Amino acid sequence: MKDSFFRSMTWLHTWVGLLTCWIIYTIFFAGTASFFRDEINLWNQPAIHNVQAQTDRVAAQRLQIIKGFDYLNQHAANSPSWRITLPEERIPYLVYGYAKPKEPEQRRSQFVNTQLNPNTMQALPPFVETKGGNFFYRLHYQLYYLDAITGRWVVCFASFFMLLAIISGVVIHKRIFKDMFSFRRNKGVRSWLDAHNLSSVLALPFHLMITYTGIITLIFMLFPYPALTTYDNGIRGFFNDVSPSNNVTNKALGSAAMLPINTILDQVYTKWPDADIRSVRVSEPNMAASTVTVLVDPGKALRDQTPRLLFSGATGELVAQSDDELTNSKALYESLNAMHTGRFATPLLRWLYVLGGIAGCVMIATGCIMWAKRIRERSKGKASFGLQLVEGLNLATIMGLPLATCSFFIANRLLSPTLSGRDDKEVTAFFLAWLVAGVIALIKRDKLQWRIMAAINALACLSVPLVNALTTNGNIVSYLMHKQWALFIFDALFLLFSILFLVQTEKLRTAENAQRKTKSKPVVKPVRSKL
Amino acid sequence: MIYLLSFSLCLFSFNCFALAKFNHFKDVFKKRPTELQHKQLLALAWISILLSLAICVETQSGYGALLFCGFMSLSVLIITIFYNLLTRLVKVFSVLNAVLITVSGLFLALN
Repeated sequence: MKDSFFRSMTWLHTWVGLLTCWIIYTIFFAGTASFFRDEINLWNQPAIHNVQAQTDRVAAQRLQIIKGFDYLNQHAANSPSWRITLPEERIPYLVYGYAKPKEPEQRRSQFVNTQLNPNTMQALPPFVETKGGNFFYRLHYQLYYLDAITGRWVVCFASFFMLLAIISGVVIHKRIFKDMFSFRRNKGVRSWLDAHNLSSVLALPFHLMITYTGIITLIFMLFPYPALTTYDNGIRGFFNDVSPSNNVTNKALGSAAMLPINTILDQVYTKWPDADIRSVRVSEPNMAASTVTVLVDPGKALRDQTPRLLFSGATGELVAQSDDELTNSKALYESLNAMHTGRFATPLLRWLYVLGGIAGCVMIATGCIMWAKRIRERSKGKASFGLQLVEGLNLATIMGLPLATCSFFIANRLLSPTLSGRDDKEVTAFFLAWLVAGVIALIKRDKLQWRIMAAINALACLSVPLVNALTTNGNIVSYLMHKQWALFIFDALFLLFSILFLVQTEKLRTAENAQRKTKSKPVVKPVRSKL
Repeated sequence: MIYLLSFSLCLFSFNCFALAKFNHFKDVFKKRPTELQHKQLLALAWISILLSLAICVETQSGYGALLFCGFMSLSVLIITIFYNLLTRLVKVFSVLNAVLITVSGLFLALN
């Protein structure tokens, strides 16, 4: 401990921040991208680019479900389960899917999906294998190439460190509220500190909320002890207890024809007349033990789990349902989860989440750059191994992640649609590009390397919409003409980032020239008077 | 329109908070604010930020508070850009902000 509270907090802020800043940056970066998970999925699947959003989406749901049951009865009457996923505002297509019988070594059944255009009810061209937005989502909370549980523990610890860094940061940066609207340009480390303070304070409620709720999303992994001591089968027993619809096992034997789905839908619409149905899941279809689960949109309610009704498929009897009124503890847990994921947020709120996420990335990046700059100033040219490591990781992470992301999207367009394991190869492209950034950072970490990386990033960002235009039927102009806003904004964002990286390249070039001039200027020694 | 009203109120609030600071007031009006002006600006800022919060929570229920946090972030960003890079446009910006509040408020009141 240091000799005063303020110095202790400064020490804490520096070290908890520095130790985890690169991993936290990755988590924030991937999390920010995940807010647009559905839009990334859309961009990554050219087959659905021209599917128009339905104007009467909710009204058409009943017919889509009935047709789905007919289709699945025809094609997979003996399948262990069926799934009908209805179009949503951000997911424009309809899916009829059925599970293949599980192989002995398989943990989960493999699904065979048929994607349809909901406007024409015609099957869409085959989908390409891609992880899409789900890759960033998984990277955000369990990293990659790590066992899922280990990855989650790493993310949890990093989040704890982040929370400590935020709280200690508010204590040590005493003037963050006084200097709230101030940013002093071209003042060296002072400017970096201003940028760090500004990005922290402008989204401080968001930073606190997203970090705290992030820990809460994994709370049952972090703190399972109450459930472990109360339930014989631990966490599973606890979840079955709080969500009765998870635990329904219909013990009826033999086969039985499915009740017409209309009978079940009538019950759903009686309970929720304006129900916006998300999906219908059937287990053991055409058996006496079959169950039909209907999941509906929770609307503006701040809850993470979709409300659901569970019926017997053979008799139509309501077997279980999610709680209409949540208990206080459940409501708290659900709302904290929903706040973190923003799953049911409106487009405006989603953009504001993204703004908060970008502010978080800037806060972390400026923090670790500032530390390196301060230490370099103090070391007067002699860089220790620690400083070189920090500078290298700064360059590799801050500039490497945008390059890796571009590579992921470029690979999505350039890899052959028929290539097996195509989705894994996209991920390999992501990490290979990141590795390249790491190698550049390993060689040297001067302004020149930052400039090279900025130029490469500018080119990579520009390539994403260009490669898209060359390999698909659409481009940024056609998206604008046909009001395909998600695709247009996606391409436009990459163009914007390309411009920003170009500006950065130019700024770094100017700074480098200025530095070179200062170095080459002869030092004029003062002439001592002989008088 | 309700989004516009709550956002412009939030923006107005942070504009007042910024003007209540002596250095920013001096940058815009070339003189220091009087003690009374300082207090009035702070009062206006608090009233409009609370109004913005109330509108967000009332109209957006569960997600209202989150929306309000997002509006605050966006407002601080815009105000910082204006006060540091476009200081000479702050007066025009403030007038536009007031017009936005009036128009969106009137629209909602009349419909």
